[in-house]
Amino acid sequence: MALLETLNLSKSFGGLQAIDNVSLRVDENSVHGLIGPNGSGKSTFFNLLTGVYQPDIGSHISFNNIDITNKPAHYIASQGLARTFQLLRLYGELSVLENVLVGYHPHTKYGPLAPLIMGAEVRRQDKLVKEEMMDLLEFIGLAEHAEIPAAELSGGQRRLLALGRAIAMKPKMLLLDEPGAGLSPVNVDNLMATILTLKERYNLTIVVVEHILKVVMATCDTISVLDHGQKISEGSPTFVKNDPAVVEAYLGREMADEDIRAAMNS
Amino acid sequence: MIILSKLTDIFEYLAKRHRLLPWLLAYVLLLPLPFVLAGLFNEYLIDLVNRICLFILLAVGLNIVKGFCGQVTVGHIGLYAIGAVTSAVLSLEPGGFGGALGFGWPVWLAIPTAVMVTAFAGLIIGLPSVRLQGAYLALATLGLGESVRIFIAVTPALGSSTGLMMIPSPSVGSFTLDSFTSYYYIVMTAALFGIYFSFSILRSATGRAFQAIREDTTAAAVNGINVIKYKLLAFVFSAVYAGLAGALFAHMPPGYLHHNNFTVIEMVTLLLMVVLGGIGNVWGGVIGAIVVAIAYDQTKDLVFYFMDRPIVIQPLVFGLSMVLLVMFMPRGIGGWIEDFQRNRRFIRRSEERLSGSTRNT
Ligand SMILES: Nc1ncnc2c1ncn2[C@@H]1O[C@H](COP(=O)(O)OP(=O)(O)O)[C@@H](O)[C@H]1O
Ligand SMILES: [Mg+2]
Repeated sequence: MALLETLNLSKSFGGLQAIDNVSLRVDENSVHGLIGPNGSGKSTFFNLLTGVYQPDIGSHISFNNIDITNKPAHYIASQGLARTFQLLRLYGELSVLENVLVGYHPHTKYGPLAPLIMGAEVRRQDKLVKEEMMDLLEFIGLAEHAEIPAAELSGGQRRLLALGRAIAMKPKMLLLDEPGAGLSPVNVDNLMATILTLKERYNLTIVVVEHILKVVMATCDTISVLDHGQKISEGSPTFVKNDPAVVEAYLGREMADEDIRAAMNS
Repeated sequence: MIILSKLTDIFEYLAKRHRLLPWLLAYVLLLPLPFVLAGLFNEYLIDLVNRICLFILLAVGLNIVKGFCGQVTVGHIGLYAIGAVTSAVLSLEPGGFGGALGFGWPVWLAIPTAVMVTAFAGLIIGLPSVRLQGAYLALATLGLGESVRIFIAVTPALGSSTGLMMIPSPSVGSFTLDSFTSYYYIVMTAALFGIYFSFSILRSATGRAFQAIREDTTAAAVNGINVIKYKLLAFVFSAVYAGLAGALFAHMPPGYLHHNNFTVIEMVTLLLMVVLGGIGNVWGGVIGAIVVAIAYDQTKDLVFYFMDRPIVIQPLVFGLSMVLLVMFMPRGIGGWIEDFQRNRRFIRRSEERLSGSTRNT
């Protein structure tokens, strides 16, 4: 069953067609890869799904059988669609624990005025939630840094926190935008392993953008390929890597990336 | 430093026994202050302390919208004016001086009504924040705030150039709170509650939503925070503080207010408090309010003669200090407080680790 479905999704920035008529389905409980050369529209696609950008007229997005086209970002989030950002966008001055607590926000059981009138109940709730979030931090290995401002974490820890903050939203689906960017290949492998355990533990459906194709090929059930905002190929990893259109898209740009060559040939 | 550390120790110890104990202690310690001041110095200082309490309310409130939520607003003093004039007009007897409006309400009814009116005005001053940011938002709020003052200045019903006079004092039973000392207990209690509530907000999901918006608005929206709702809520919270401060100002002896109390220079003074205090830090804001209010009071009548012409230099001094502060002390006093707290945490963790390892051996 499709958890997420887009129909004729388009987005142009002035004259630039960043996403061009993309129709795509993501099945429940799958790991779906989204690949494509730099600037092909992967991040824009995520921004459209999560309400950060408004799509062009004629586009449709449905999630969990609810029409989320043109809905505000916080509403989409509350329906169980979470994401990470390519540039992380952590709350730098807030502590690691506070970052995941913000992720938990849609599930807060008291209203915004409650802290003023029912202090005791608010404190009781907060204590429970903090314990739950500490468990999560424990699981991703950041518990001992809970009190540190997010800005002071190392690069790898920041990537984990971005993941933790999204998981704290208890989503049904998680969109990951280049979760391993900037990490060494070994660390990317570790990160992907963590992501797969998180998927099992929290029963997630995952869409992942990753430019190291080897990683995508190894972990994804289905892969969609974008080029110039268009979906040029889709299918199993074996199908996609042998699809001439994909090879053309990557090699046609003379991208001298060893990773890509290696992935194509393996 | 050591004294500060000991003091923090005491407060933390008390807080462990009961959350409200430190607040209670602070309250008890503040009770005899007017008598100490009157005994050692003079009555005038009590008036100064009262005004400091109002500035603390203003600064702590402004800190919610600007510090916690990151929305630049320069219209806060306009909200203060709305609170003051509303409460004054509601409580004045009908048919007062110079065509001033009056409804003759009891003071204790006028004050909460004024606070509610100001909260609504805060919502309106906050509306530009839905679309504007940074300097544009500052300009829009400045325009709204200043137009409130001008409206008061040109409307005889609201005092215009003569101001509103003989605004009644509140009373408890048959006792009228019309002296500096008796009024001190109202404003001090209000200021302390204001600080306390500010912490309650900061440490709840509501406060975290404000801060997330400040740190990264897009990420906050994607985390499920209704950005517009929370921005406006921050404006309303801060307006409640400003409205209360304004209303209490109106009924403070001598019960007189004038539109000159709400000028841009007052706004700069208020911003100076928050910036000196360190944006987003509650205690920093309180200390900033105290320091700046005293400095303001001391330099108020400072006149400098140039070719026999008097020049009031206070506005220049305050404007300049603002620029210097932003340039050389961007984190303000709050920055020191945070460093201090972090050092303490670090020391405590190291101690725990040490004692832990000795236990193991
Ligand atoms: N906010 C924006 N305004 C204008 N152009 C944009 C904006 N966001 C993305 N683009 C353009 O859309 C295209 C796709 O970008 P992006 O989605 O970031 O690609 P990818 O993530 O696949 O590398 C690029 O040409 C980029 O410059
Ligand atoms: Mg991208």
